[in-house]
Amino acid sequence: MSAFRTPNFRGYKATILHRHDDNIRRLERHLDRLGVESTVIWPDFKIDDTPPDVIFFDGDNGYDGLFPWAKGCPPVPLIALISSEAPGRLEWMLSQETSAHLIKPIQSSGVFSTLVIACANYEKRQEQLIRIDTLEKRISSRPVVFRALLLIMECGHLQDEAAFAILRSAAMNNRQSIEDFASTLSHSQAVSLINDFSADKGMA
Amino acid sequence: MNREIAVGLLYSTTGAYNLIGQDCLDGALMAMDEINANSRYAFNFTPKIANPGGNINEYQRLTEKLLREEDCQQIIGTVTSISRKEVTPIIEKHDGLLWYTAPYEGFECCENIIYTGACPNQHIVPMFKQVIPEFGKKVYLTGTNYVWGWEVNRIARELITSCGGEVTGENYLPFHSTDVERMIETIRETRPSFILNNLIDSSSYALYRAFYSAGKTDDFFRPENCPIISCNITECELEKIGYDAAEGHLSISPYFENLNTTENLNFLKKVYKKRSKEKPVSAFFVNGYATTYYLAEAIKDAQTDNIEAVKKELFNRKFQTPLGETEISEKTLHTALPYYIGRIKSRDGFEILPSRPQAITADPYLVNFESSLFAKTVNNFDSASSSIEASHLKVVK
Repeated sequence: MSAFRTPNFRGYKATILHRHDDNIRRLERHLDRLGVESTVIWPDFKIDDTPPDVIFFDGDNGYDGLFPWAKGCPPVPLIALISSEAPGRLEWMLSQETSAHLIKPIQSSGVFSTLVIACANYEKRQEQLIRIDTLEKRISSRPVVFRALLLIMECGHLQDEAAFAILRSAAMNNRQSIEDFASTLSHSQAVSLINDFSADKGMA
Repeated sequence: MNREIAVGLLYSTTGAYNLIGQDCLDGALMAMDEINANSRYAFNFTPKIANPGGNINEYQRLTEKLLREEDCQQIIGTVTSISRKEVTPIIEKHDGLLWYTAPYEGFECCENIIYTGACPNQHIVPMFKQVIPEFGKKVYLTGTNYVWGWEVNRIARELITSCGGEVTGENYLPFHSTDVERMIETIRETRPSFILNNLIDSSSYALYRAFYSAGKTDDFFRPENCPIISCNITECELEKIGYDAAEGHLSISPYFENLNTTENLNFLKKVYKKRSKEKPVSAFFVNGYATTYYLAEAIKDAQTDNIEAVKKELFNRKFQTPLGETEISEKTLHTALPYYIGRIKSRDGFEILPSRPQAITADPYLVNFESSLFAKTVNNFDSASSSIEASHLKVVK
């Protein structure tokens, strides 16, 4: 069992998109205890060269256009501050890809765990997005790989397994993914690969 | 006539961990007697004692009763984190103030609680800094199945792995279980450098006794070879453990009775006048006492027991206590405390080892803790660094 590292937010910058009130003062005090520097802005929020590390926003009064990025693509974890549980409001918050929420009135307990959960959720979501992107690219390259495979099979009168082995080893020798290598494979290249393969086999 | 101010004292003086509850209560009551007899204070404390009897379901009801029917705005009380968490929503609902005097696992800053006991940067971190260079980097972790044991052991795991050490085993027992044999066997097989004991009450006593029995036939089970270390064992539990079984093991605390300071010696003189010298004085007793004085001083200066006014008078000042000089942080609501590492010396309480008599600021979320720095300190601990540290340490024999 590995040790779970104590989450530490020292040096973090937080933006709080909410009108300033007692709730928000309590949140600011608690963020200060956690080593987080916070700035309160409402409603005109612009993201400059150095975005904050986390954003708290008013889930009750948030609206489309509040965030200066494409809907559902926040660059940092979003934490909704909510008192209204009206389904329409929840739908709006979910559509923004909210990573966690805090119920108003803000209490001194809950801020730390919400930060930990929001950051972990956001990180996991980013990893998933990258993974999904990679897998989608691979799926979209399938016809290209299939075409290259057929080319090798036809030119060398080979079975699919042998043809795939040639394709994979050639991609590896070129330090390319199978998909990238397949997309540039020409007829003459295929013939030369098959010849190399036959020569190797003959020598063996 | 002096104004009467009702203060709730919520401690389990029967049932599990009653020894600790009794000491906290006795300390608070002794302070109240002194305050009521002292003309410096233009008020009298009326203690409203509530005993949940170690029954977790009683805490909320009794807290409601103290706040609603007994006119208390302030409650000094609770020992375990489970009970503190139980009463917190009630305290917040009535906007009262809870004075929590026990050591705990940190990661909390409720604005309706004043924390006067130690948190991890004041107990487990300095304890490990001291123990690892002396005994080694293999630790066996044990605790009672609730948040204190789980979290202190998690921090311990983080500390030990950060300096390249290892956890040889980690086992928990349900409340009141004394089934420690399997632990003894695991310890026998895995031969750790030391044992971190986060068991409470009868489970903890059983571990010390079983360890002592094992030591009669196997030298490994001797405190000089493999000590049991603790962040909450004090003088008040030594008799119950059994002096022979407790002998030689280590504990960290902001206070030990054997502290050879003027503040403590003067304090003990007063205590011994009131109760038998045979009855040991523990950190729980002293912290109940000191906390009651924090409250009294703040009420005196605020001229009201309204909690906002009391809180305002509590911060940015120093308190002279039997623990030494302390201060409560406005930011974290936690108390800066010294720490002492003590070795159990039978009926004589704790022999105090190199320690840190200057109070350290509480860091309940370990915001300023760097595991790499901890590892460096522990791994580079040699005679040079220890002598630097020792130069401002007070060793009391």
